[in-house]
Amino acid sequence: MPRLLFHPVLLRFIKFTGLSSLSISSKKGNVVQQSASNQRQQYDREDAELLKRIQRADQRALSSLYDRYAPVLYPLGLRMTGSHELAEDLLQDVFVHVWEKSGSYAQHNGSVYAWLTGVCRAKAMDKVRSANQRRKGSEGEGGSSRGSSESSQSTAAVETIVTLKGITEEVRNSLKSLSKLELRLLELSYYEGQSQSDLARMLRIPLGTIKAKMRRGIQKLRQVVAPEAR
Amino acid sequence: MTVKTEERHAQLELCIPYVFGRLNPGNRKQFEAHLATGCEQCRAELSGLYEAIALMPLLLRQETPPSGVRQRLLGRISSKRPEQPRSERPQQQQQQREKPATPSLRPERPWYLYASIIIGILLIISLIIFVNQLVGTTGTQEKKISELQNELQRDQEMVGILQAERVEMIPLAGVVPGAGMYGKVIWDPVKRNALLQTSNLPAEPPGVQYQLWILKEKKYYSVGIFDVTAEKPNTLTMMSLPVGDTKEIEEFSVTAEPKGGSSQPTGVMRLRTVTK
Repeated sequence: MPRLLFHPVLLRFIKFTGLSSLSISSKKGNVVQQSASNQRQQYDREDAELLKRIQRADQRALSSLYDRYAPVLYPLGLRMTGSHELAEDLLQDVFVHVWEKSGSYAQHNGSVYAWLTGVCRAKAMDKVRSANQRRKGSEGEGGSSRGSSESSQSTAAVETIVTLKGITEEVRNSLKSLSKLELRLLELSYYEGQSQSDLARMLRIPLGTIKAKMRRGIQKLRQVVAPEAR
Repeated sequence: MTVKTEERHAQLELCIPYVFGRLNPGNRKQFEAHLATGCEQCRAELSGLYEAIALMPLLLRQETPPSGVRQRLLGRISSKRPEQPRSERPQQQQQQREKPATPSLRPERPWYLYASIIIGILLIISLIIFVNQLVGTTGTQEKKISELQNELQRDQEMVGILQAERVEMIPLAGVVPGAGMYGKVIWDPVKRNALLQTSNLPAEPPGVQYQLWILKEKKYYSVGIFDVTAEKPNTLTMMSLPVGDTKEIEEFSVTAEPKGGSSQPTGVMRLRTVTK
């Protein structure tokens, strides 16, 4: 667990909190104080430097970026495709894209991490779409099995939230403020690619309510990213 | 102003479905056209939304991918090169023009560099040939000048003999009558310089030269040798006489001798005159 606390992804998460300082206690009682703001800037500089090195065909830089973000992108691919095989292919596709198209990253559109998750999500949607078309071709109009996967993955997400509760009170409070419906809507939109109209029909909730709930849920997430926006 | 505010609000409403990729093609095209106008508010909104929804994967339980994925990834990128940012592409393209298109340890050189090298080599070769010819011509000219200078000096000496206050001339006649051979010796008794003139002597065969003698007290003394060729049957040759007074000379004679001359006459006598 102490080693997990220093994992780049968790540090990245802590960076997103935007806290002026953060205390993390290990089992041995050691207290590590980090300036989240400085850490955030540090991560941005490191990511930008890695991308520059990747543009110069530095494979070690790509490996570093892979080590930093694969533990997050792989579960994302797994969550969206429901297949280890597809998730592994997807992870490769994402970093091949990073290798070939790192020049397309625009800093003013967000962080490198946000760009990576966006690329991963878009490619996952393509893979799911292609897999569904193949499935329809072979099985006719049979129902999708994604429903059960969806519920189990939602449970996993909640468990992850529970795990993160012990790390920082600020993050816990921000995520705790998400209602079940808000979290559900965000998950269906993010992982399943459901449109707001689809969600309204599927959940039999007025479209206006769907839009308002999603807006509110995203706003809460944005407060985690930029607490000054509260 | 109110309309603009409402339009801006309407565009902001599209930001959430846009980041989730759920805008229909028409609205998407319209929204992207709006972004292309440089709306900072929408750009900032999109940036914040992208950052926010990027938190979603962090809610999943983290899982390290199998180690083989990294190896397969590195294998896939090994033969590919990253593209450059658009803003850097012109510079990169310029660099690529200066660098090899294919991976090579030796830099590629443009064709005009090779052409310049070839032209340079040809120019150097031409220059060497020209200088060589110039040196040869100069040598020939110097040799010719030297010959002319010698000829001029000889002519001046001949003129010097003729301009002397006292000059003596002895005619020479052919030994074979009717052959038309004749000659004369003109000399300055004071300086003992003599001028031998001959005409119609037969061209000497290879290895043979004509030699002028004087007979003094029944003994022959060599004065000098000269050449007669088919192209130049008439000669005019400067010589120095071993004696100064004609009274001491009994006879002048010209004989054909082996090349380089002899100590005593051995060959056929062509011209002769008797002074006493």
